[in-house]
Amino acid sequence: MRERIRILIARLGLDAHWRGSIIVAKALRDAGMEVIYLGNKMPEAIVEVALQEDVDIIGLSSLSGNHNILAPQVIEILKQKGENTLPVILGGIIPQRDIPKLKEKGITEIFGPGSSLKSIIDFILSKNSFD
Amino acid sequence: MGERQKNFNDKSLREIQKESLLWKKSLKENDESTEPVESLSGIPIEPVYTPEHVAGTNYLEDLGFPGQMPFVRGVYPTMYRGRLWTMRQLAGFGPPEETNTRYLYLLKQGATGLNSTFDYPTLRGYDSDDPLAIADAGRGGVAIDTIEDMGLLFQGIPIDNVSVSLVTCQPICNISVQSMYFAYAQSQGISMEHLTGTSQNDFMMETAITIAPGVLRPEASFRLCCDAIEYCTRHAFRWNPVSFAGYNYREAGCTTIQEIAFALQNACACVEELIRRGVSVDDFASRLSFFFSAQSDFFEEIAKYRAARRIWGRIMKDRFHAEKPRSCALRFHVQTAGASLTAQQPLNNITRAAYQALSAVLGGAQSVHVDAYDEALCMPTQLSSLTALRTQQILQHETRTTHTADPLGGSYFIESLTNEIEERVLSLMDEIDTLGGMVKAVSSGWIHSEIAASAYEYQRSIESGKIKVVGVNCYRNEEDIPIEIFEVPETVEVQRRKLERIKKERNNQKVRAVLDSIARACESNENLMEIMVDSVKERVTVGEVSAILKAQFGTWDPPLF
Repeated sequence: MRERIRILIARLGLDAHWRGSIIVAKALRDAGMEVIYLGNKMPEAIVEVALQEDVDIIGLSSLSGNHNILAPQVIEILKQKGENTLPVILGGIIPQRDIPKLKEKGITEIFGPGSSLKSIIDFILSKNSFD
Repeated sequence: MGERQKNFNDKSLREIQKESLLWKKSLKENDESTEPVESLSGIPIEPVYTPEHVAGTNYLEDLGFPGQMPFVRGVYPTMYRGRLWTMRQLAGFGPPEETNTRYLYLLKQGATGLNSTFDYPTLRGYDSDDPLAIADAGRGGVAIDTIEDMGLLFQGIPIDNVSVSLVTCQPICNISVQSMYFAYAQSQGISMEHLTGTSQNDFMMETAITIAPGVLRPEASFRLCCDAIEYCTRHAFRWNPVSFAGYNYREAGCTTIQEIAFALQNACACVEELIRRGVSVDDFASRLSFFFSAQSDFFEEIAKYRAARRIWGRIMKDRFHAEKPRSCALRFHVQTAGASLTAQQPLNNITRAAYQALSAVLGGAQSVHVDAYDEALCMPTQLSSLTALRTQQILQHETRTTHTADPLGGSYFIESLTNEIEERVLSLMDEIDTLGGMVKAVSSGWIHSEIAASAYEYQRSIESGKIKVVGVNCYRNEEDIPIEIFEVPETVEVQRRKLERIKKERNNQKVRAVLDSIARACESNENLMEIMVDSVKERVTVGEVSAILKAQFGTWDPPLF
């Protein structure tokens, strides 16, 4: 295992809010992780970069309401490429009632509004030591 | 003018100072709390304010009367007695037919203006059937692809009587959407001189504040913004062609000081450019409008609006030599802070937004949007948007806060805070001047790192408990009361069918010709909006126009991280 956790952070589709994803990116970097900040991309491009960069985890951000369509697509495409274990976490405005369905479709964890940076960092660290 | 008169004479000030020292000493002796306290933007706050804190103020020069320079006490002589603020609730979702129903509902319930939000694809210049748009069409606002959609959006609404705000965000969206609105008005036989309303059209929106694929370079985006201002000065002089979106800067993470300094510097850049183009400052200045946030620090926000008015009044008069008083009056819309809303215990947001709206009213806002309680979870339902509108109506008709102008003016605390905010804003504006102005501050990436740093700092303050958020870092409930979640109506298919039909029906030869003329205008200095208002009548799409603008001007990757 390499020394630093590598995470790819991407915003889904055309969602224009960057505040949350940048704050999380800064916090993960300050926690010693290597952060690749991709900006807005569609699922195919996110998976392509994730595999190219050999990341340990993907972090998706969405506040526009596009998460139910695009987040599961990321999992779908990962599976098509034979990648079944890469954790994918999602943050943003995700209503409670969407969470079970998203988890069922393979999203590892969801961080809705009000989530603390610490809870995100702790989760990523725990994920990485399990694997 | 002779020596600067002060509000208090030296003798009485000395006496107050002496007593004040004794009072402070007694606090310590009696173990009263003298721990340092700060405002949300980091201004140290005293336990009490006295004439000492405003000793340098000259009433007539620094405060004056409402409707007069420097407009600290409000932009109109009798403020809300003469004209209540416009209750302008945001609405936009799904295809235009659906949003139209919400507009008619809000007007029937007593809204006095409309506030149209557009979906992510429209804002970024993509048609609803674009592969990039499939998951975002109809979200965050209404989908507009052609002038036909504009007609559907405003069907049955007398737009010659209702003032409409088009929240187009960035110029690349505005150039199409505002043109469609004007062309639609013409098709209804309404003269553009009679149209009242506002377009957002702020170049910082796309380049720094909300970022998505296909951002124009800051210089190009700024040019489109100024083209719209110049166009309206000639043809639609009751229309506010730009709204400097300090609100959105704040939402992205700015402090209250940055919010005002960045918005005012953006406005200064536009004034300079319009003057450079040969437009007289008094012909357009009174139509520049501002959009600010109402965050949760009640007094700081009130002082902020007052400080912004004084700074702008003096800049317009002293630096740009505006002669008409109206040119020096900063008019603004306020939205209660979306970023302050919590997903936890969502009904608490009603209370939060009501306090914030009260600060906007005590600060002299011209129009207000109150956030709906469910906005941290979804787009507003009919019930939540009605509750937000009722919050405004309670303010207007029950609280009796509308009877006198600037009711907190003269408070030692408010005046001192107004002075302090003014000083800090001016110093940040000086820093931007040394960077070469707002457009350069954006293209160099300076602005992005400043905002991101403030946003990060704010979040850390919440996590450390320095900033308290009820329901999030204190007074949490294990179980939340569930609320109804809004479902966005089917949009992509509805819009796709329309686009297919339109592309068959329209005269595609003419479409190609107008698109060519748009491309040519990009290369010259010709005003693009002059061409656009006629072009959109051929039912060219938002996506077609934006593709040309992006190809001609090139796109840019804002340096965010």
